[in-house]
Amino acid sequence: MCSRSDDDMLEARIIKNRREISVDVSLALGRGQSLGLFGASGAGKSTVLACIAGIEEPDDGFVKLDNLQFFPPSLPLHRRPLRYLTQEPGLFPHLSVGENISFGIAKAIAAEEEQRRWIATLRDRFQLGPFWNAPASLISGGQARRVGLARMLAGKPRLVLLDEPFAGLDRQLVRELIDDLVFWARTLGFSMIAVDHQAEVLKRLCPHQAIVLEQGRIVQQGSWDDLYRAPATPLLRSLLAPL
Amino acid sequence: MNLDRPWVARAGIALFAMALLYPFTALFARIGPWQWGESVRGPVLSSVRVSLLLTACAMVIIVAIGTPVAAYIAHCRTRERLLWQAVLLVPILLPPLALGILLTLAYGPYATVGSLLERFGVVMTNSATAFVSTQVYVGIGYYVLGAVAAFDAVPVMLQKQAALLGLTPANVFLRVTLPLSRLGLAVALSLAWVRAIGEFGAVMVTAYYPTGMPVQLWVNLTSFGLPAVMPLLVVFLAVALPLPWLVHVLAQRRRHA
Repeated sequence: MCSRSDDDMLEARIIKNRREISVDVSLALGRGQSLGLFGASGAGKSTVLACIAGIEEPDDGFVKLDNLQFFPPSLPLHRRPLRYLTQEPGLFPHLSVGENISFGIAKAIAAEEEQRRWIATLRDRFQLGPFWNAPASLISGGQARRVGLARMLAGKPRLVLLDEPFAGLDRQLVRELIDDLVFWARTLGFSMIAVDHQAEVLKRLCPHQAIVLEQGRIVQQGSWDDLYRAPATPLLRSLLAPL
Repeated sequence: MNLDRPWVARAGIALFAMALLYPFTALFARIGPWQWGESVRGPVLSSVRVSLLLTACAMVIIVAIGTPVAAYIAHCRTRERLLWQAVLLVPILLPPLALGILLTLAYGPYATVGSLLERFGVVMTNSATAFVSTQVYVGIGYYVLGAVAAFDAVPVMLQKQAALLGLTPANVFLRVTLPLSRLGLAVALSLAWVRAIGEFGAVMVTAYYPTGMPVQLWVNLTSFGLPAVMPLLVVFLAVALPLPWLVHVLAQRRRHA
């Protein structure tokens, strides 16, 4: 389980050269804040997130959470106090829903009364009770996203990274899951970076600040009002325009 | 053949399957009464014991050495992986008789390693050690290559998710990679089992004694003729085939589920 201090601060500069795009993005995030990474498909948003998570390794730059250096050198994944959720929730198919949610929590901690209550809260809040003991491989896509979300919260993370976690879900479920996430972000006080190419999803999830990427570079950052009022590029204007 | 008509294609494949299974009709061949007298029974039962016990030992060694080797190769980049896989192909592709001769010369009393081993009391010809090590040689390539394929089939992202959930690399392997690849590993092991327990050429050179089932079959065939072979043949098939066959069928079912 991730412990939390009052001065959490993520600072990062991600430099990553790929065949099709060269990414160079700097960002900073305070404790309990949320940041939306917005842009068209292929702008480098997911690359930035994957590099912070450690799924990919940057070519240069740095990633730091408080005094914990993620990169360089590359900190092993299991020592990074963060959770990373993508549209593929990455459930372990050989385990039940309940086992998935408790996965990674040390047995001694999992046995504590407070932790058991917390897991029960997540089970009830995400309506996982009816399929709690079902194999994760047999639940529907929407249920899997809820389980993924609950598992992400189970360890009370300091930093949450979301890479289009609601892609392909119906609007009603997306609304529910976003409300849940915003509620828990406020309650638990974790910092959050979310990536999406749908402005309305991102604005709801990270209402205060956003960074816009194009071709791997930041073209604008600020509040959503700023972005809507004066989009810096024609592409951004087009992305923000209603259908 | 007109493949647009399913029954034509099905009849064709049925004919093919019948051709594959036809040799089993030999079990009912009219060769006279099967011999199961004392002169046949004793050595036959002894060879069954030798084969089962020593092949089981070989499998334990193959799993103990092969699993970490396969896990390492599965994480290698392409060039290094190709190198190790090419090395593993050598014992698989070597003609068994040639492998047996090479093993005897390399680990026998005339080679440095062999004489060194003998000094420590490890005899590498005509001994249980020779039998097991030959089986390990002939089977481990099959197991490792199969295990690499099984590990490759586990999504990398799941393993990374497990690590991000706080699991050390060893725990990721034990709690995610291994359970998700267990059927593939069982298939790999069953291939190694069939290859090792059925090995004749190499074992005949390195370990004529203690006599396992394949060598005993040969002895019975040359000494007593077909009627003395049949009982051991039935036992040999019963021991060697059903378990690997079942594992493969299960794996296929799981793949198509």
